[in-house]
Amino acid sequence: MNTAGFPVSRWIDGVLEDKENIAQRDNLRAMVFWGHAPNSQTRGAEMKKAMEELELLVVVDPYPTASAIMHDRTDGVYLLPACTQFETYGSVTASNRSLQWRDKVIDPLFESLPDHTIMYKFAKKFGYDQEMFKNIQVNDDEPLIEDILRELNKGMWTIGYTGQSPERLKDHQQNWHTFNTTTLKAEGGPADGDFYGLPWPCWGTPEMRHPGTPVLYNTSRPVAEGGLTFRARFGVERDGVNLLAEGSWSKGSEIEDGYPEFTADMLKQLGWWDDLTEDEKVAAEGKNWKTDLSGGIQRVAIKHGCAPFGNAKARSVVWTFPDPVPIHREPLYTSRRDLVEKYPTYEDRKSHYRLPTRYGSIQANDFSKDYPLIHTSGRLVEYEGGGEETRSNPWLAELQQDMFVEINPADANDRGIKDGDMVWVNGPEGSRIKVKAMITRRVERGVVFTPFHFAGHMQGEDRRSKYPEGADPYVLGEAANTVLTYGYDSVTQMQETKCSLCQIEPA
Amino acid sequence: MARMKFLCDAERCIECNSCVTACKNENEVPWGVNRRRVVTLQDGEPGEKSISVACMHCTDAPCAAVCPVDCFYTTEEGVVLHDKDQCIGCGYCFYACPFGAPQYPQQEAFGVRGKMDKCTFCSGGPEEDNSLAEHEKYGSNRLAEGKLPLCAEMCSTKALLAGDGDIVADIYRQRTLRRGGRPQTWGWDKAYGSDV
Repeated sequence: MNTAGFPVSRWIDGVLEDKENIAQRDNLRAMVFWGHAPNSQTRGAEMKKAMEELELLVVVDPYPTASAIMHDRTDGVYLLPACTQFETYGSVTASNRSLQWRDKVIDPLFESLPDHTIMYKFAKKFGYDQEMFKNIQVNDDEPLIEDILRELNKGMWTIGYTGQSPERLKDHQQNWHTFNTTTLKAEGGPADGDFYGLPWPCWGTPEMRHPGTPVLYNTSRPVAEGGLTFRARFGVERDGVNLLAEGSWSKGSEIEDGYPEFTADMLKQLGWWDDLTEDEKVAAEGKNWKTDLSGGIQRVAIKHGCAPFGNAKARSVVWTFPDPVPIHREPLYTSRRDLVEKYPTYEDRKSHYRLPTRYGSIQANDFSKDYPLIHTSGRLVEYEGGGEETRSNPWLAELQQDMFVEINPADANDRGIKDGDMVWVNGPEGSRIKVKAMITRRVERGVVFTPFHFAGHMQGEDRRSKYPEGADPYVLGEAANTVLTYGYDSVTQMQETKCSLCQIEPA
Repeated sequence: MARMKFLCDAERCIECNSCVTACKNENEVPWGVNRRRVVTLQDGEPGEKSISVACMHCTDAPCAAVCPVDCFYTTEEGVVLHDKDQCIGCGYCFYACPFGAPQYPQQEAFGVRGKMDKCTFCSGGPEEDNSLAEHEKYGSNRLAEGKLPLCAEMCSTKALLAGDGDIVADIYRQRTLRRGGRPQTWGWDKAYGSDV
């Protein structure tokens, strides 16, 4: 129960693997896909089988997605329409770590509901709504979004997701014009000094008004103004080597050297304990910077120019990983057999995220004679992820109307293939897809590329009729991942979508 | 009065098709009709370049010169527009245009093409500004609202410039100075004459 669960990349093995081999009592019997594109995951042909073996399959999404149509189930499939971002409001986080408040544009269409309402209704049905929503106001089954963010703010001390209150984010949204578009800093106005969207870490309580951290680990600024050090996350010493910073600190730091994470005891040793208010002292006693719910320890550390999470060295050796420093290992499906001996993959593992995970036993087989082409996959600018939303948008769908494979002119000529011909791409695990050939020098001889945004065709079969009426995207096509193969990252179990083998023949 | 011009800077265009999508959405252009498109040369090879192309709103527009029903006119701002009520869909303008701008809703036998459609520089047509009739026939009229064409406004790298030709030329001149390269104002000789 306490081992890490199946990652999304491996759920199919949770269904298909022999019960004896998995580190839990039983196989997976139900799946809930919430905003997920199954065609973004490899081994599509096996996924179809896994979907058919489930007892229950639920899809929560604005679109049916390939989860609704790629299998031949006749019962036990539930499509719960979720509304889009335009039909609700709240905060969104971007990959630059900043948060932005957004307004609702239209009311939810048809019978769709916002995600948080669907989640509340599930909780109510399962009987834990009182517990889950005890700090959140609920109006007509819709939890109040501001309260949800406040709850996040209350708990996420470790990454500084605490200062971005709904009120501060709304202030930013209403005062865009006061932010400098180059520095992202507000110049005057109600958000004066804040960086747009309060990029986390935005330390302490909202009342502390930390401006956010636009650039991580920038020691040329005080922590109170968005500067930072490296986090002392992995102790202070390893194998007799000091892990804390030496001769480096953020501007204005009163400790001019490395230091560990802040704790109540550390404040006392430094003589900074009395900088806490009486209430903060009560909350901070025996706690550290991430467990003190008053935020007092963070406030006082920053007041003295220090980062609450310590000041350590940047770490490039990850001793908890199988390869502490990355080294080259040949892919499981490789066309370079000559490199396998020098750069072998890992040994098979009995239990990795509860599942046996194969490495060496696959690499031992030579597939390169029958499948000589390297198959890699990736994205197109017009489509997003599994592509269900974007292939349903006429302006975008018109720009990419066919699933295709990019193939070098030399490889095409060797196989008697002309530009625009339909071809079979055969994968080494036995599945195949029927797609259009795009003859191009974008790819080297010996390499082919497919985009992964398509779905709706399965090994040559058009499954458009399986969509609920009116819900089928304009453009359908074979999913690249139907022929992409086994292979999982040794740490995260991320699926191998970039390196496989195939053979191509005219269709 | 400003003389409106387009300029696409091939050093900046990244073939993202934002201009195409913006145009389609703003003007509600039907599937199969492409007022603007991105053309890529030497795709996948060294020296690959992309350029966004639409009606360039030529001085002395060749389309107008060949039109048998004289449906074209040039506005005070130098925008070349046409009257769809007059257009007979003959397709002569398509053969005359050096940029492949004119589009037709139908491609059937015996030359039945439907009324020609093309980029209006987001400035509608002969109907009353921003009327329903104008929108249905020609799309949006942003110029009448004091706004520039949406394709250039949405361009993610500011490769595509639209607006007063003098200002567009100034921006481009500053860029080429900074780059230190030879200016390549693609299409300008053909559209606006060799002395610009």
